[in-house]
Amino acid sequence: MKRNISVLLSLIVLAGLMLAACGTPATEAPAAATEAPAATEAPAAYEGMKVEAASCDYGGEFKSIEAVDASTVKITLCVPDPAFPSKIAFTSFAVQPAEYLESTGGNGDLLEKPIGTGPYMVDSWVRGDQLILTANPNYWGEKPADSTLVFKWSTESAQRLLELQSGTVDGIDNVGPDDFATVQGDSNLALYTRPALNIMYIGFNNNPQVEGFDNTKNPLANEKVRQAIAMGIDRQRIVDNFYPAGSEVADYFTPCAIPNGCIGDKWYGFDAAAAKALLTEAGYPDGFETVLNYRDVVRGYLPDPNVVAQDLQAQLKENLNITLKIEVMESGAYLAAADAGQLQGLYMLGWGADYPDQTNFLGYHFGAGASKQFGDKFDDITSALDSGAQLASDAERAPFYEAANNAIRTHVPMIPVAHGGSAVAFKASVTGAHASPLGNENFSVMSNGGDTFVWMQNAEPISLYCADETDGESLRACEAVTQSLLGYETGGTAVEPVLAESYEASADLTEWTFHLRPGVLFSDGSTLDANDVVTSLSVQWDAANPLHTGNTGAFSYWSGLFGAFLNAPAQ
Amino acid sequence: MASQTVPPLKLDAPEALSLDSVSLWQITRRRLLRRKSSIVGMVILAILIVIALTAQWIAPYSPTLSMLDTTPAQNIQKRSPPCIHMFGCAQDQPEHFMGTDGNLRDEFSRMLYGARLSLMIGLSTVSFAIVIGTILGALAGYFGGWVDNAIMRIMDVLLAFPSLLLAIAIVTVLGPGLINALLAIGIVSIPAYARVVRGSVLSVREMDYVSASRALGGNTYEILFKRILPNALTPLIVQGTLGIASAILDAAALSFLGLGAQPPTPEWGAMLGSERNQVFTAPHLVFYPGLAIMLTVLAFNLLGDGLRDALDPRLAHIS
Repeated sequence: MKRNISVLLSLIVLAGLMLAACGTPATEAPAAATEAPAATEAPAAYEGMKVEAASCDYGGEFKSIEAVDASTVKITLCVPDPAFPSKIAFTSFAVQPAEYLESTGGNGDLLEKPIGTGPYMVDSWVRGDQLILTANPNYWGEKPADSTLVFKWSTESAQRLLELQSGTVDGIDNVGPDDFATVQGDSNLALYTRPALNIMYIGFNNNPQVEGFDNTKNPLANEKVRQAIAMGIDRQRIVDNFYPAGSEVADYFTPCAIPNGCIGDKWYGFDAAAAKALLTEAGYPDGFETVLNYRDVVRGYLPDPNVVAQDLQAQLKENLNITLKIEVMESGAYLAAADAGQLQGLYMLGWGADYPDQTNFLGYHFGAGASKQFGDKFDDITSALDSGAQLASDAERAPFYEAANNAIRTHVPMIPVAHGGSAVAFKASVTGAHASPLGNENFSVMSNGGDTFVWMQNAEPISLYCADETDGESLRACEAVTQSLLGYETGGTAVEPVLAESYEASADLTEWTFHLRPGVLFSDGSTLDANDVVTSLSVQWDAANPLHTGNTGAFSYWSGLFGAFLNAPAQ
Repeated sequence: MASQTVPPLKLDAPEALSLDSVSLWQITRRRLLRRKSSIVGMVILAILIVIALTAQWIAPYSPTLSMLDTTPAQNIQKRSPPCIHMFGCAQDQPEHFMGTDGNLRDEFSRMLYGARLSLMIGLSTVSFAIVIGTILGALAGYFGGWVDNAIMRIMDVLLAFPSLLLAIAIVTVLGPGLINALLAIGIVSIPAYARVVRGSVLSVREMDYVSASRALGGNTYEILFKRILPNALTPLIVQGTLGIASAILDAAALSFLGLGAQPPTPEWGAMLGSERNQVFTAPHLVFYPGLAIMLTVLAFNLLGDGLRDALDPRLAHIS
């Protein structure tokens, strides 16, 4: 019995020891559990940046940009903006590493070697020759079909076509209007037409004095003169003779495919006699002399600039006795001069849709934050556009855009001429070939069956820091390298998540919260976080930021889409 | 001592037959006309001059008239190929011997007016350069010393740049336009004439008749412009003729680049430049201006070569 008791005690002790041995982890678990939060508290200790305007009185749309945590960015707006996802998806608002932006000082290497999260990264750029991109090994998405992408360029449509026919390039932009039939008749090539989501216009600088010119009596400052010119140009003749199939005369600045694009009164019809009478009434019965500026580069909205310029010259001479001296400028200098309001006389320019919304057409060009290209702004236009941009539904916005269109027709800051049809061409053997209505073809899905895909466009990119570029040739190259929070679908206009995996907006559309895609690396190997987003956007927004330098410092897209800069120097 | 009779000088006919009564220019003309290449050059040049002088009568249309302006509109397309009824073009189509350009202007009319412009360009730029170059070269050669040094070093600087590049630089400063382009081409042409004239003056100023004139009390102006220069002009004529060709070529190049004649001026280089993209779809618009430039330059070069040979006494036996 005594022996049994001792055995029982031994078993109890043993069982107790075993329980103790098994229970140790159980008792330590809470400790581990309490440590776990300590480990996940690192993000809580994340020093998120925040850039905020003291108030919204400065005139811009942004109130603040904040890194809530490493993977969450909150953008607060001063006014509701239903088009905000479409805007923030644009190439100019791409994200680069904050450290890299700071190390470049906002220009320098940044202009030629952007660090992005896109499918490609810059390998080399031989100015005047070619830009070579290679596959980004850290790309979060599907790897590019061809590992090397080469951008080449030629202003001559004949040369572009010749290069495609000879097989030295795989795709070309803007097939010459007279070459459509040639491409369609060649079984080795394929033509892809682009919808005419663009506008070619004749701009006026209405300032009495144009900076840099002795032009104290600018006739174009007279509204009646501008109206007379608007009536004195036969736009149908220009489209019929100098534009390819798929083009149409522009009765409004915005293409009709864009909601509220074509409401209000149609543009002036051609009436040479009425135009002459109006010019006489304005005090110029014998006409006057001025200049017509343009850049000799082919765009979808202006496929043959030389002949259109000469036809305008002939029309205005014959109809109004206005003598135009033609001045051709280099593309980069031309855009900079237009933005700065330094072009004298008339000028030919155009615009292709970045996203399908009125804010990208009327808002960008005539809104409060628009550049000086048309000279002084018109309050009735800017106020209508400001009001319209803050409303969510197309029906609510309609009266404001109608008012804006009518005011534009009255003040004539420009003459809408054409919505130009255009096309790209590829070798028939290229897979994934497409034409984007926004002009941002996605080359990572295209393949010629080899390793290197060669694309030839109209002109060399001006720089690859597209926060401060507006030229389509630069933007297309940037889109292969850098990405924004959101983006546009391949070959379409719908907005889709890119660096932000998801986003939500407050009910009043003033607070937008973006949740970053986890595990995204830049091409230099660094990890994307919310501070990169805040830095990339704030250097554009804040004019006092030391990195607010860029290529020209204009940051036209920011001001065009989001209004005034924060801390902008007094005018 | 027996007297010796000097045999009469025997010269080759036909110059020898009338040596006493034949001037240098007549000899030159005869030598020139013996060279087939010179004759070809002169014939082409003569045709160009006739075209230039009569362009307004023989051109079927105004060179700046767009057919889009005609009422009713003609049944033609821009950049249409040549249409000549005699060669099978449909009778209901309006005749355009060289087709139409991108702005539906008659290419033939523009080509005719272009001849006038090209000759004007060549003659005016070379005249400008000859006048300035001759004065500078004569002063440098006659006075020598620091005047010579100063003038010729400036000329050396100008010659150090490729002429077209220098012309582009000048036009860039002055601004694009035909007049500025002519001025630029004229300026870059000056050194060639200055050097030629200086060399001639250096050789002529030591001649006895110049010393005689000086001994007789002739003033500088009289000696330089009445005694020396007239006898130093021969190489200048050759240089000038060849210079017209290069001036036309340079002007065409500047216009091609958009720095010379501005639209709608019918200048061959500008016409070539504005239609350069249509080399495959409308090759006639590139071919005709290119051919015209080539023929004009060829004509002046052939004539210049002929003049050089004709005026060179060392080559008399060859001709």
